[in-house]
Amino acid sequence: MIPLENFLVLSGLLFAVGLFGVLSRRSAILILMSVELMLAAVAINFIAFASYRDVEAFSGLVFALFVITVAAAEVGLALGIVLRLFRERRTANVDEASSLKW
Amino acid sequence: MGIEFGMEQVWVLPAIPAALFVVLALLNPLLPRRGDFLAAFGMAAVVGLVFLVLADYTSVFKDGHFSPGGTNVYSFDWVNIGQGFFTIEFSTYADGITMVMLPVVTIVALMVIVYSIGYMHGEARYGWYFAALCLFVAAMLTLVIAGNLIQLYLAWEGVGLASYLLIGFYWERQSAAEAAKKAFITTRVGDVGLLIGIILLWRATGTFDIQSILAAAQSGAIGDKYLTVSLLFLFAGAAGKSAQFPLHVWLPDAMEGPTPVSALIHAATMVVAGVYLVARFSPAYAEALVARDVVLYIGLITAMMAASMGLVTSDIKRVLAYSTVSQLGFMFVALGMGAVTAAMFHLFTHAFFKALLFLGSGSVIHATHHQEVENLGGLRRKMPFTASVFAVGSLALAGIPIFAGFWSKDEILHAALNDAPVAVYVLLTGTAMLTAIYTTRLVLLTFFGAPRDRHAFDHAHESPLIMNAPLAVLAVLATVAGFFAFDQVGQALGFPGGIAANVFLEQAHHFTEPDYAFAGMATLVSLLGIGVGWAYWHGDARRAVAARGWAPDLHALLVNRYYLDNLYQGIINRVVLGAGSVIAWFDKRVVNETGVDGGAQTVSYLGYRLKFLQTGRIPNYAFGMAVGVLVLALVAIGNS
Repeated sequence: MIPLENFLVLSGLLFAVGLFGVLSRRSAILILMSVELMLAAVAINFIAFASYRDVEAFSGLVFALFVITVAAAEVGLALGIVLRLFRERRTANVDEASSLKW
Repeated sequence: MGIEFGMEQVWVLPAIPAALFVVLALLNPLLPRRGDFLAAFGMAAVVGLVFLVLADYTSVFKDGHFSPGGTNVYSFDWVNIGQGFFTIEFSTYADGITMVMLPVVTIVALMVIVYSIGYMHGEARYGWYFAALCLFVAAMLTLVIAGNLIQLYLAWEGVGLASYLLIGFYWERQSAAEAAKKAFITTRVGDVGLLIGIILLWRATGTFDIQSILAAAQSGAIGDKYLTVSLLFLFAGAAGKSAQFPLHVWLPDAMEGPTPVSALIHAATMVVAGVYLVARFSPAYAEALVARDVVLYIGLITAMMAASMGLVTSDIKRVLAYSTVSQLGFMFVALGMGAVTAAMFHLFTHAFFKALLFLGSGSVIHATHHQEVENLGGLRRKMPFTASVFAVGSLALAGIPIFAGFWSKDEILHAALNDAPVAVYVLLTGTAMLTAIYTTRLVLLTFFGAPRDRHAFDHAHESPLIMNAPLAVLAVLATVAGFFAFDQVGQALGFPGGIAANVFLEQAHHFTEPDYAFAGMATLVSLLGIGVGWAYWHGDARRAVAARGWAPDLHALLVNRYYLDNLYQGIINRVVLGAGSVIAWFDKRVVNETGVDGGAQTVSYLGYRLKFLQTGRIPNYAFGMAVGVLVLALVAIGNS
């Protein structure tokens, strides 16, 4: 059996890649994709712990399903926002969307 | 008989003018003639009710059902904190002193209101004038029937308010507005003393009920020094309200108000509130002789000072104002000797003849539009009726026998001879002579001699009936008011024991054992005063001017009112305003700019600095969140 640590390292790396993407990209679409990576890392964590701690308990698996569902909904919403932003500003660059300040 | 009306219902008396005040003040434009006749009829009803109360008082006394100490009608608990720890009852109290005050207040008020219908005709704010008079009467009646110090204090401030409103009735005139402020603030100085006195007495006895406090004082439950100090504070209030030295300065200025107001408030009623207060507490003052002596000597100083200033004043109303201050001094001297009967008797007679004099001077002012004696003179030919009633009032004031003032002043002088150092008697007699002199001077300069202002003289005319009728009534009262103390009068009216014993609590000496030699002396002094006055001022004013040259320093001292007004103004300018500016600086710089504004400015500045943290860029926020999560994670690891 593959040891738990491997899954955790994989999920950690995936999360770090996602976080780096969120912080470094300028394009809203790429940021959304990075967020998806982070969510996937979390889902992997859930499933790994679920199967290693107690096979009979489904709560970890159910959480993973929830994460996927919520991620789908969030992407649907966020893409709508990005679309509006593009219509308004003719760009999807988040640096341009900085009017919410003093 | 349907409804009984007597001592138990005495609370109705102030309720009627209070209701009139509300109606007159709120519904004024709707009332016929702005409600002046409504006020007069309402006041007439109150006078009628007062006589019912008087009848009840004497009849109850005759049946021997109650002690002459009066009756305390307990009504209800007004305030009750901590199961009787702090209780204010609302109660009325009526005894002989109240029975003197009630007819004085109501009869003079009725006369003044009727007179005002003529005097104030065509004035602006005509309706408000009557409303304010009703407010005053309501407060004054509450004051004299109060069974409780808090009630008394409320009414005390109420009459002060009404006085302020009426002195400043012509507030468009700068001097009237100033005089109103001066009256209010000066009496306020005394009122603070009164409040302190009330609190001190409450602390010692735990009650505000006047009779309980008096009982405690008589039983010695209050320490001697404590009682003395409390009573001195009470007297400070009395001195402020009754214009006694050194708080007398407001009363001459109060003459800025309409003349009928001066007659009612600043001669007959409100200014005797202080006399009433000290008389009400006379059993306590009898236990604290130091406080009583202070009352005596303050009264004596005031009587002499005011009489001397009356000699040189040229404003006819101001002369009367100084005369009022002086006569109030006489009353306080009587109180200071424990002669409550004499004081209340003088209060009773003085109210009528001084109201008469004021209303008479009002007629003169109404006819000539002048009140400086320089512009008057010879008016007896134009206004014979006014001149004769004024003469009646003057004879009463000067203390000529059969007129009311003689009996009561003689009573005071007699008490002075028996119960005080002989110097007091001598000085009082001298003051009585001064009184006769300035009264004669006033009458001569106003009604005799050649007219000094031809234009004013030609325009002068006798007043209408509505003004003369009250003058006639008051002239009769100023003549006969002294007789009320006679045993025989009481017997004739059906009160065994006489009105004197019933109303004044003890017999006036005059009416038990007439002392003809003594009375003759007093009369002689008064006649001498009149003679001196006649010698100086009859004919023309040249002799009076010559008198100024005879003692210019003394004249300047008197004309400048002993420089007391200047002294007070100096104290106010230097000390009060100086201290005020320091406090104002502290308030402005420290409290406001450092405290209030400083706090607001700090927040504003911080906000200005910190707002640049908000870049509006999503990656910055995301970075912040990431760092936050990292820190929380590290903390969690560190703790586990």
